[in-house]
Amino acid sequence: MANDESAANQAETSQPGFLGRTLLSTDHKVIGLNYLWLALFSVFLGLAMSLLMRIHLVWPGIRLPFLSGSSLERYAALTTFHGSLMVFLVLTAAPQAGFGNYFLPLQIGAREMAFPKLNRLSFWATAASLIGLTIAFLAAPETGITLWTASVALFSLASLCNGINFSVTTIDLRARGMTLPRLPLTVWAWFINGILSTLIFSILLAASVCLLSDRLSSTHFFPPLNFLAGQPASFVANFLPVLWQRLFWFFAQAEVYIAMLPCFGLTTHLLSTFSRKPVWIERLVVLALCGVGLFGFCVWGQHMFASGMNPFSPLVFSLLASSLGLPATILLISWLGTLWNARIQLNTSMLFAIGFVSLFMAGGISGIFLAGRDLAAAAVSDEFITGHFHLVMGVAATFAILGALFFWFPKLFGRRLNESLGKIHFWLTFAGVYLVFMPLHWLGLLTHANLYSGSRIAAISAMVAPVRAFITVAAILLVLAQGIFLFNFLWSLFRGEKIEERNPWRATTLEWSVSSPPPAGDFGATGPVVYRGAYEFSVLGVAEDFVPQHLSPEQVSKAR
Amino acid sequence: MPGTTSPPEIELIIEDIGGGRGNPPPGDDDNGGDGGGDNDNRGRKQSPSPKRYSTAITIALVSILMFFMALASAFIVLRRGSEVWVTVHLPPILLANTLILLASSFTLEASRRRLSLADPSGFRKFWLLTTGLGILFVAGQLVAWRQLVAQGVYIASNQASSFFYIFTGAHAVHLLGGVGALLYVSFRKSDQKRISLSTAAEITSYYWHFMDGLWVFLLALLYLGK
Repeated sequence: MANDESAANQAETSQPGFLGRTLLSTDHKVIGLNYLWLALFSVFLGLAMSLLMRIHLVWPGIRLPFLSGSSLERYAALTTFHGSLMVFLVLTAAPQAGFGNYFLPLQIGAREMAFPKLNRLSFWATAASLIGLTIAFLAAPETGITLWTASVALFSLASLCNGINFSVTTIDLRARGMTLPRLPLTVWAWFINGILSTLIFSILLAASVCLLSDRLSSTHFFPPLNFLAGQPASFVANFLPVLWQRLFWFFAQAEVYIAMLPCFGLTTHLLSTFSRKPVWIERLVVLALCGVGLFGFCVWGQHMFASGMNPFSPLVFSLLASSLGLPATILLISWLGTLWNARIQLNTSMLFAIGFVSLFMAGGISGIFLAGRDLAAAAVSDEFITGHFHLVMGVAATFAILGALFFWFPKLFGRRLNESLGKIHFWLTFAGVYLVFMPLHWLGLLTHANLYSGSRIAAISAMVAPVRAFITVAAILLVLAQGIFLFNFLWSLFRGEKIEERNPWRATTLEWSVSSPPPAGDFGATGPVVYRGAYEFSVLGVAEDFVPQHLSPEQVSKAR
Repeated sequence: MPGTTSPPEIELIIEDIGGGRGNPPPGDDDNGGDGGGDNDNRGRKQSPSPKRYSTAITIALVSILMFFMALASAFIVLRRGSEVWVTVHLPPILLANTLILLASSFTLEASRRRLSLADPSGFRKFWLLTTGLGILFVAGQLVAWRQLVAQGVYIASNQASSFFYIFTGAHAVHLLGGVGALLYVSFRKSDQKRISLSTAAEITSYYWHFMDGLWVFLLALLYLGK
């Protein structure tokens, strides 16, 4: 499959056309950028969908596009489309496939991913699944759901292949001297995430195949409730209607960590670079990242095999979900320890990284409530959960992605994003997400009728309406604030301040040792050689406050 | 060999660089006939180690295992949760198919032994025999399906039949991938040797034996599930 990839590479040197430079290219940088463009498109589409939902919730009278006709079905389709876009095409694709494809080979000193053609194929499959999801949203519900399932299966397949590519690249293609302890934490996160992806996306693929078979050849792996209603009781006893939900949640629970793991890596990397300090307790952070992967995998694994015979063993589930607190706490302690007493450079990238830490703490605290099963089952309504996972998964991950984008934009395009616009965008977004999602938590606690007797429900519902309206207005402002980012991005792409030096942030990893954007083949005739760990900042006795990984000891002593 | 990790002794590495810059890099086997020095930057001389193929197949096999485990656990959960389970009468030809597949694993190993004994014609003979047995197995599975259909057992008849078709179908698709790999190894052009014949044969054999074992597991599951 990858046998004549070098022939393809050679073909590209002879002046390829536009398609050859973009969609047909097997260059990991081009593919990484393609994923980022896809994610950028999807995130704004998804944001528009969320606005439609918020407006419809508060002012149901307003006629909105896509919400005419059978409103209930269209609203469900809208929610599904918003969720699929954000989770698959943005949160899964951008930090892992996007930044990972571009920077993993650069950071480990490889010239290419292990299987460039497989990589290109994965990108095509991902793009096709975006198209499929969009058509599914526009189509009638019955065909729509079938198409949606097929698109998800395709996306799973692409993520599987990506995961294999990432792990093999990290295992076998590292440059000389790039031992495991010297790997940047971003690479560790991408690597662990790659392995986790190969494991859990095959579960989603299997579930999708069964579901597709249900819909296309009318098998009954996951019989719908209305079908069971018309059957005799002995027949109904054959089915566990929750099977799909369980298979799906085995995947979906781990999917949270799939989205978060690269973001942990990115944030740790940014915090260290802009604190000008080594990552505090770096080895422990690597273990914690492994722990997140392992626990994230076990959360469903345990549920599936140990309790496969007994679907209701929430104790194990709850215990595992809580035990994720340990690696999360280690990460948090490391971030705070890195920031402690540091000469922090508060640029936009760093602001977003610190914003990530803040959101992670806020979301993690509400997560503790949800890990306790009693509260999750009895007292918490949908809105609490919506608020929780948007804060910790959606928004926090977006902050890490934005931080990484501000950090790597000079390397990607040879220009800087505008810092002033970036800071305005950060503060508006930071305030905006708390204004939207904190009241959602409160609303979730407030509106749960079980807790209250009848007389107080009326009083509560009087309070709820203005809160809902407030959330919607805040959401509109939040989305408008993203216009600043879009403008900044497009303007800087063509007019941004040009970067002459290779290493504007004075960072240590290998990608900063090549020009911006990196040339085809990344490194010159001789591959890079690595002499030190990834976070040698403020080393005693060295003139500069950082020592790049590729500097040999002699070159460092010159700087003394 | 660049691309593999080296011991962290820094002095040793520095010596390496000095040597590397001095002489034209040796061991540059697949950069041989392409002439033109303009491709130096394309980084072909640091061509990724062939180890990546065996690493990839290991990870891929774990992933495939997860896929079938998800199906198997769905089977177990539904089987245990049901009081009335309509069983599928498994066609006897499945046993013949199983023997064929098991035999193919042995011929594959025989073929690889011929290769290590530098007997290319013997290798080729056994390799094609393996391929033939693989195709025969898939054909046998098709016959099994036809027999079930003739009995009026379709994929949507009951849950047991659904699982039978899903298990055998998914396995057959994966096995056809293996047949493709076998064919690729026997008919690949000799000038495309980025991966040596023995490595290619070894990687294919991992996959093939895995598919073999997986089939035995699935069949046992189907029998015990009755």
